[in-house]
Amino acid sequence: MKKRITKIIHHIASLRVAIALLLLIAAYIVIGTLLPQHSAHSYYLERYVKTGPLIIALTLDKAYSSPLFIILLVLFSINLTLCTATTLKAQIRQLKGTFFPAVASSEFVVEGVDEEAVRSYSQRMRFNVVERDGEIRAGKMRIGVLGAAITHVGIILLFLGGAIGNMSSSEEMVNLLPGNEHRFEAQGFTLTLDDFHMTFDESGAVKQYISTVTVTDDDGSQRSDRLWVNKPFHYKGLGFYQANYNWASNLRIVERESREVVAEGLMRNGGSYFYQSNHLTVQLYGYYPELGIGHQQQPVKISDREIDPYYAVVLYQFGEAVGSYIVAPNQHIHWEDLEISFTHSVAYTGLLVRKDLSYPIVLASFLIMIAGLFISFYLYPRFLLFKEGKLYTYSRRNGWVFYQSIRSAFTKKE
Amino acid sequence: MYQSIENITFTIAFVFYVASALLFFVHISKLSKRVERVALLTTIGGLVLHTIAMAARTIGAGRLPFSNQYEFALSFAWGIVLSFVVLHALYRYGAIGAFVMPLAILVMGYASMQSKTVRPLMPALQSLWLTFHVSSAILSYGSFALACAISVIYLIDSKRADDHKILAEPEVSDILSYRVVVFGFLMLSVVIISGAIWAQKAWSRYWAWDPKETWSLITWIIYAIYLHLRLRKNWRGKSAAWFAIIGFASVIFTFVGVNILLPSIHSYAT
Ligand code: HEM
Repeated sequence: MKKRITKIIHHIASLRVAIALLLLIAAYIVIGTLLPQHSAHSYYLERYVKTGPLIIALTLDKAYSSPLFIILLVLFSINLTLCTATTLKAQIRQLKGTFFPAVASSEFVVEGVDEEAVRSYSQRMRFNVVERDGEIRAGKMRIGVLGAAITHVGIILLFLGGAIGNMSSSEEMVNLLPGNEHRFEAQGFTLTLDDFHMTFDESGAVKQYISTVTVTDDDGSQRSDRLWVNKPFHYKGLGFYQANYNWASNLRIVERESREVVAEGLMRNGGSYFYQSNHLTVQLYGYYPELGIGHQQQPVKISDREIDPYYAVVLYQFGEAVGSYIVAPNQHIHWEDLEISFTHSVAYTGLLVRKDLSYPIVLASFLIMIAGLFISFYLYPRFLLFKEGKLYTYSRRNGWVFYQSIRSAFTKKE
Repeated sequence: MYQSIENITFTIAFVFYVASALLFFVHISKLSKRVERVALLTTIGGLVLHTIAMAARTIGAGRLPFSNQYEFALSFAWGIVLSFVVLHALYRYGAIGAFVMPLAILVMGYASMQSKTVRPLMPALQSLWLTFHVSSAILSYGSFALACAISVIYLIDSKRADDHKILAEPEVSDILSYRVVVFGFLMLSVVIISGAIWAQKAWSRYWAWDPKETWSLITWIIYAIYLHLRLRKNWRGKSAAWFAIIGFASVIFTFVGVNILLPSIHSYAT
């Protein structure tokens, strides 16, 4: 019975299964890059008349989150874990100084080598030397035999981190004007945006978006920091990422006769305000910090530098567009008994707030993988056997190159 | 001024590379040591000019030439020629030049078709990780190009009689190609990982299944399969050579095809 189970495990852990799974995973993700993702089912059925139903059945429209893909990844992790575990015992045995491979059958032999030269070379190159029955056995970098396992552990950890991240991470977008606050109840602190601005280069392109924030903890402590693209800010397990920005502008509607301000407030680009008394909707089509005129005479934004600012405004009454205007700050639009104007535009920041506790695991897995690869590729075990005037060289990973280096070391000396 | 230095040295380097490829072809058909030497000197001359072109751009733009398709192609071609010159210094197989140089010429040609204007770095690109990411990519792609060239030689040689082989010992080209792939694979892992760390900083997500990411992962999987088959199933010779060629095709698709055919957040690299 035990034998049967071992056999089954070895079968699941085999390289053949691994390669089959890798090919399936590769095929799946290739399709994911070729098919548009996350469209409506009707799109696939219309566009791909024959394969549409199959695409939907295999959830290829959400390739990277589909159950099928996740099953493939889980199977792969199981295969890799079993495979690493089953080979580990033999590898650990090879770490011991008593282990010596069947070097004498190696095809890489240097002839006519002096015994003393082998001894001094082995010592100089930090080989671990054992002499017995007139043979010199030298080995080094035995640790290299673990390289593959270390790489595999890195990959398993990466999968684990990814899975934990997928299950536990959350994110939200927070838009803030300078002075605004946002409360994070679960974490027990409040974030205030102290300042947000952009820096520009000569051409007017944005060089950086910079937010200055202060967190006030419920225990009263405060901390301020600046964040920009590529430099997130972290607090109590939350990451704040500079993700977005836009403009908000102050709308002001004044009744001409009475000089009464009947409406005032901030409005975003594209936003609109309905003024009941006149059945009037004021839409801020856009704020143009540096205005240009496009091919079809439409307003375009040259840059976000506030060099020559204008507002594009559209008015609607009873659902019909009744006027469109390009106005400077404080310039009035007269409509019936009203004066409509925009002023004081401010840039607001869009911060992506993300909680992902798995990232340290992922980062560790990256380091382990790179270390494992380096160990298996460059610190592979090397063995020398001197017997009856011949020097046998052996390295499973890289026999020929090792042999060349030994041969040139010994022929140079002569 | 830097722009014109760059343009002139770029053009002359290109001419040098074409000349060296032709000379290497003469060398492998005639197997003349003298021609090989001249070809090699021409390659090195081209590489020096190429380096000057890159230095001029670096000074002119005030940053490393790593951020759009032209700059990356320029660096990629440089990586290919450099890895060939290094391999030659180590193992003295000049004939590989006949197959590497055409790849470098293709990439240079592709570079010359791209827009050369120096554009400011958009905020997401202003990161030290960009430098890691792209330098490892240059080394990785350069190595894979080299392994592909060596594998082509292997396949040609496997059909030829012993005294007509381009590289006298096919086993050696097999092993060299393998060792070069090994280095390329390590570097590709650095490319992917540095990209992931960077994405985490810039976009809060280390992996987003963007087409360019995904295709670099596919390339990585192809070479990972190659390494396992080689070590465990003793795949050598022809099948290994084909693998190295397919792997490089995937590299090229990741580099060019994805930009042209698939929408991607990496498309700022146009
Ligand atoms: C894509 C994921 C994988 C990567 C990146 C990877 C990486 C590696 C590396 C770098 C080596 C050393 C190769 C060398 O020294 O030439 C190796 C060896 C090995 N891998 Fe993997 N591996 C992966 C998946 C797997 C899977 C799923 C299996 C399960 C069957 C597996 C089984 C092995 C075995 C048996 C060895 C040889 C160990 C030895 O003989 O010392 N690998 N792997």
